Amino acid sequence: MTLDLFIQLLVNGFATGMVYVLIASGLILVLGVARIFNFAHGEFYMLGAYTTFGLCQVLRVNFFISIISATLVVALFAAICYRLVFHHIRGNLLLCAAASMGLSMMFERGALLGFGTQERGLPSAFFGVVAIGNVTMPVEKMAVILLCVAIMLGLYYLLMKTKLGKAMRAVKLDTEVAALQGINTMRVYALSMAVGCSLAGLAGGIIAPLFSITPGMGHAMLLKCFMVLIVGGLESMLGGVVGGLVIGMTLSFGYYFLGGLSEILLFIIIGVILVFKPGGLFGEMVEDI
Amino acid sequence: MEKWLRIYSMKLCTKEVTLFIVLGIIILLLPLLMKSPYQMHLIIMLCINIVLAMSFAMLFSTGLITIGAAAFWAIGAYASALLVMNLNLSFWLALPLASIITGVIAFMLGSIIVRAPGVAFVVQTMVINMIIVQALGQMEFLGGWGGILDIPRPNPIGSIKFVSKTNYYYLILFLLLLTVVVFYALYSSRIGRAWRSIRLNPRLAQTLGINLFRYRLLAFIVASMSAGLVGSFYAHYFGTIEPNTFSVFKSIYIQIYGILGGLNFYLMGPTIGALIMTLVPEFLRIGKEIEPILTGGILILLVIFLPGGILSLPERMGSLAAAFLSRIKKKVSLH
Repeated sequence: MTLDLFIQLLVNGFATGMVYVLIASGLILVLGVARIFNFAHGEFYMLGAYTTFGLCQVLRVNFFISIISATLVVALFAAICYRLVFHHIRGNLLLCAAASMGLSMMFERGALLGFGTQERGLPSAFFGVVAIGNVTMPVEKMAVILLCVAIMLGLYYLLMKTKLGKAMRAVKLDTEVAALQGINTMRVYALSMAVGCSLAGLAGGIIAPLFSITPGMGHAMLLKCFMVLIVGGLESMLGGVVGGLVIGMTLSFGYYFLGGLSEILLFIIIGVILVFKPGGLFGEMVEDI
Repeated sequence: MEKWLRIYSMKLCTKEVTLFIVLGIIILLLPLLMKSPYQMHLIIMLCINIVLAMSFAMLFSTGLITIGAAAFWAIGAYASALLVMNLNLSFWLALPLASIITGVIAFMLGSIIVRAPGVAFVVQTMVINMIIVQALGQMEFLGGWGGILDIPRPNPIGSIKFVSKTNYYYLILFLLLLTVVVFYALYSSRIGRAWRSIRLNPRLAQTLGINLFRYRLLAFIVASMSAGLVGSFYAHYFGTIEPNTFSVFKSIYIQIYGILGGLNFYLMGPTIGALIMTLVPEFLRIGKEIEPILTGGILILLVIFLPGGILSLPERMGSLAAAFLSRIKKKVSLH
């Protein structure tokens, strides 16, 4: 195995891993702050991809503007979903999970009926390859990595430096005490849902030129994100980042060396992690239902 | 007999006894009432769904939520089909063996995943379900994505041959009854009380000397074994099995059966939930295309307005009526 090949696979794994990181960190945010285990998260990702496709391909808007507007649309949609459904059952994990499963079923079938079963794709916004020494990499992959890293840094800024982020962390720590300090917890719940789901929508927009867009894409991605959560743990963003990169690298290297068996390799890795750390690499065991 | 009934009816009151007897006769004579084989098929699938939903409810009684019930159903079905087709075993031997194999696999998987409760358990069971479906599809000697075809029918006992749906119905009815009796015995024993106390407050239960891990593992194994039992039946009843039948979707549906009926009723809840979810779409003649939308909508409405499930309806109506009455009384006393 040459160094060039290694770097190539590394970049591939990093690109897919960062997309998982984006979606999984949204899932972790919603779970941590709003206490919703969101099974409809994949559907928000699909919605982001379809909105980007619609704006970019049908209405001929600039790619970046359509990504940003898709993110806003998904955020608005998530906030509406929160207000209509989850607001009434807030705090109950099982009921929220069941309701989000209902939402997921409705959205997926709605997309299937509305957009049809055919696969859609966007032409790439970036052309050409970058050559460093013997290693050639498509600009597209590099752009995905750069965008995802920038968005994760933005999320870090939002959570750590702004007042809203502080409120979110306080609500995650203890809802009642946060409410006593004058934080409008309902607003924080709705906003965290909007931010978390818009991260999924954003990821959907970013990958729209890379993968084909189908109504079932949300499910496949959600299942990968669950693996990320198992590897990284359910509590911390850091766990999400590490888990996403581990899964991305495993898939990238595994596909090259093992082919179709790489999924089995992934399961073995997950099994080993579960044996030694039942709550994930960065998670603690929390007893709550 | 009459004396026994009288003693028993003092506890249960005559109304319930007559209700039970009438229901029992209807259930036993159901094949006479059904006109087409398709209706019989629906009833048989309903019985399978009830057992699966009961296995979900059993795990829920210990405070664990599983989205992997269909995985153990799959293991039972594949184990039974392979035992009969490769080792030429009789179905009547393969049925308990499949259940035991499912139990052993559940023991191995359970001892890894039962330690992490809460959301982690939900995710892990879901991933296990995916892994098993993926593994069944990838392995060629298990039939791959096409599944196993031409699974033989159960061997005839004496003159009873398994050709018509009626005999299958009585077989699944027996399995359902067996599950209900075993589950009822467990729920009303010391073990069941330990499970309920774990669900109420795990830490408190632990201080009382209840080993969380062991009791939860026991629930996991028993629930999986019942799922494996009906899995074996399903394989030989349906004749073909393919991995996609056992996908995560099926597990989610199983969870919906439990929530719909009411999670505080471990045996009646799953029965009512599966009854409604299996039969209502058929009677309404809803197209397959919009069925998930309606199911999802019903689930959301139910979760918001009737979180205790359908069986909690009388209680909830009672509390609503009481609240209404007290409000009226307040108004009257104010005037």
